[in-house]
Amino acid sequence: MRVATFQWLMLLTLTALSFGLAEAGMSGSAVLIPVLLATLVKGNIVIDRFMALRGVKGPWRWIVLGWLLLVLGLIAYAFQLAQS
Amino acid sequence: MKYQSQMVAKPYFIAAIGLFLGQILFGLIMGLQYVVGDFLFPEIPFNVARMVHTNLLIVWLLFGFMGAAYYLIPEESERELHSPKLAMVMFWIFLAAGVMTILGYLFVPYATLAEMTGNNLLATMGREFLEQPLPTKVGIVVVALAMLYNLSMTVLRGRKTAINLVMLVGLWGLAIFFLFSFYNPGNIVKDKYFWWWVVHLWVEGVWELIMGAMLAFVLIKVTGVDREVIEKWLYVIIAMALITGLIGTGHHYYWIGAPEYWQWWGSVFSALEPIPFFMMTVFAFNMVNRRRREHPNKAAVLWALGTGVMAFLGAGVWGFLHTLAPVNFYTHGSQITAAHGHMAFYGAYVMVVITMISYTMPLMRGRAANSPLAQVVEMWSFWLMTVAMVFITLFLTAAGILQIWLQRISDQPMSFMAAQDQVALFYWLREGAGVIFLIGLLLYIGSFFIKGKAATAD
Amino acid sequence: MWFFILAELLVFGIFFLAYAFARTHNVELFNASQLELDRASGVINTVLLISSSYFVVLAVSRIRRGHSRSCASWLITAMTCGAAFLVLKLSEFSGKIEAGINMSTNTFYMFYLGLGFFHFMHVVLGMIILGAVTLKAWRGGYSAADHAGVETGAAYWHMVDLVWIVLFPLIYILN
Repeated sequence: MRVATFQWLMLLTLTALSFGLAEAGMSGSAVLIPVLLATLVKGNIVIDRFMALRGVKGPWRWIVLGWLLLVLGLIAYAFQLAQS
Repeated sequence: MKYQSQMVAKPYFIAAIGLFLGQILFGLIMGLQYVVGDFLFPEIPFNVARMVHTNLLIVWLLFGFMGAAYYLIPEESERELHSPKLAMVMFWIFLAAGVMTILGYLFVPYATLAEMTGNNLLATMGREFLEQPLPTKVGIVVVALAMLYNLSMTVLRGRKTAINLVMLVGLWGLAIFFLFSFYNPGNIVKDKYFWWWVVHLWVEGVWELIMGAMLAFVLIKVTGVDREVIEKWLYVIIAMALITGLIGTGHHYYWIGAPEYWQWWGSVFSALEPIPFFMMTVFAFNMVNRRRREHPNKAAVLWALGTGVMAFLGAGVWGFLHTLAPVNFYTHGSQITAAHGHMAFYGAYVMVVITMISYTMPLMRGRAANSPLAQVVEMWSFWLMTVAMVFITLFLTAAGILQIWLQRISDQPMSFMAAQDQVALFYWLREGAGVIFLIGLLLYIGSFFIKGKAATAD
Repeated sequence: MWFFILAELLVFGIFFLAYAFARTHNVELFNASQLELDRASGVINTVLLISSSYFVVLAVSRIRRGHSRSCASWLITAMTCGAAFLVLKLSEFSGKIEAGINMSTNTFYMFYLGLGFFHFMHVVLGMIILGAVTLKAWRGGYSAADHAGVETGAAYWHMVDLVWIVLFPLIYILN
């Protein structure tokens, strides 16, 4: 059970980090990359640990992880596009 | 056939097929009027032919749904129909109302018909698909309510299954949404809202429940696959159909004066509407592949598989083609819409009703399946009608693309009628495919009269 | 249930990308409107949902050992967080509506209100599912051997959480 608690604290820390970056008034890539990475890690924790898809046979885990990667990747692309 | 009262389905199906023939004849008349404008003028003007073509479609499909319900509900509920007599009375009322309405369209000018039938008391006429005079509309409500009472009583006292509950919910929805047709606000935006709440919520909402239930029923019967498996599929399919279909109503709000955000919501949700249809195809093929018995009625199996494929193509693919707002900006109200309408109605609703007729009619005539020859003829009719419909759709799509180009995209846009002249070739081709369709339909009707020893499972 | 979860993820995914690409045409408007949002309320809501997901994990681990009552208690804790999320979200929305903002105000607000409301309805549905599971757990309807219902309800709730984890940075933070 300690593992789940640790992951929960991890999620809270990453949320605080993203929030802190925004409050600090940073913008552009300085915010984009760390925040998206944090979101990726958070999503991964929820999918693998909370939904307990890690170690599940069959395509489910990869479909959900693939969804996360694809969505975040395309968001990153769109935001880069908007900057240039 | 397990229960005597299921026999009431028979006249409903016969009437359905009769009106289907009428629909196709008027379709051919109208198709010819596209290219020979004064054909049969002034006896049958284009607007009348169109009204008869579309109204007959709706009425015969309703006959088909009702017949299917009267057959399916007793069998699923494992008891006799609450009142077979009421079902028969309603049949004659509905048939009389339907025939009178069509005769009214044909022999009385529409404005006079409106005056004669009390449209000035409560104006409901004059809107596409909902042209019926007030007494007909009231008649539809009476017939539907009597049927729902009859079927609900049967289900309440009998066994409740996923299939008869989904069917019943679909039919209740059908009746309830039809009530919107009695409200005809002067504000044209509101008018369009209420109109779509009948038209869209029927064909992309509750009718899909009816269709799903009918398909599941036939598949259980002809494949012998476990009920639990089929019911699980049915639940997932109808849940998807309802979620995407209800919010997908937004794809009709793009240009009628509704808020702009509907372009996003309508696009996204209606883009997902093919999913339940795709699942229906996978469902049908999956169940047939896992069949536990060889049913002697091969024709019914063919119709069931065909329903899945054609519904996905017509409703799913051809719907998706022009559902996204940026595309629909150019395509709305063009021949693309007509192409989609033809294949979707045929693939989803015409074919599912015929699937049901094909499975039940031999049983009601005292045999498990028709003679091998009759089945061969029926399968020929399947291929003729289906292939003809594919070509009608392709020709209309070609006409639509050309029409949109000439009329809406090119630097020097043509007027509507000038563009119509340019696509006349495709209209001729469409009319030819329509004739093939009629031949297919005549073969289909003919297959009922072929005698011979009933086929057995081999 | 997994089929629904994937379908839901697909819909949200399309809307997230629609937001991101619609933004490329109108960066100033999106950035300016985003600054009008209550970021603190958004971060509190994130903490609430993450925590409720964590409590659901605890509830599942309890039922795996056959502790029905303790499972139900954790589910109630999770639902309390969910309810707090809903209250906070409603006050956020009502603030915007009082300021005369609606879905037709501009494209940013269309997404903010539309996606927010759509997600809101999912939280409501998730609460209903968790509520039904809680009731059954409280009455001892699940056991260490048979608790598929709890796992399914939990998976749906985590999906709602997962969607919010992407939605929050996308709409409240990234600019």
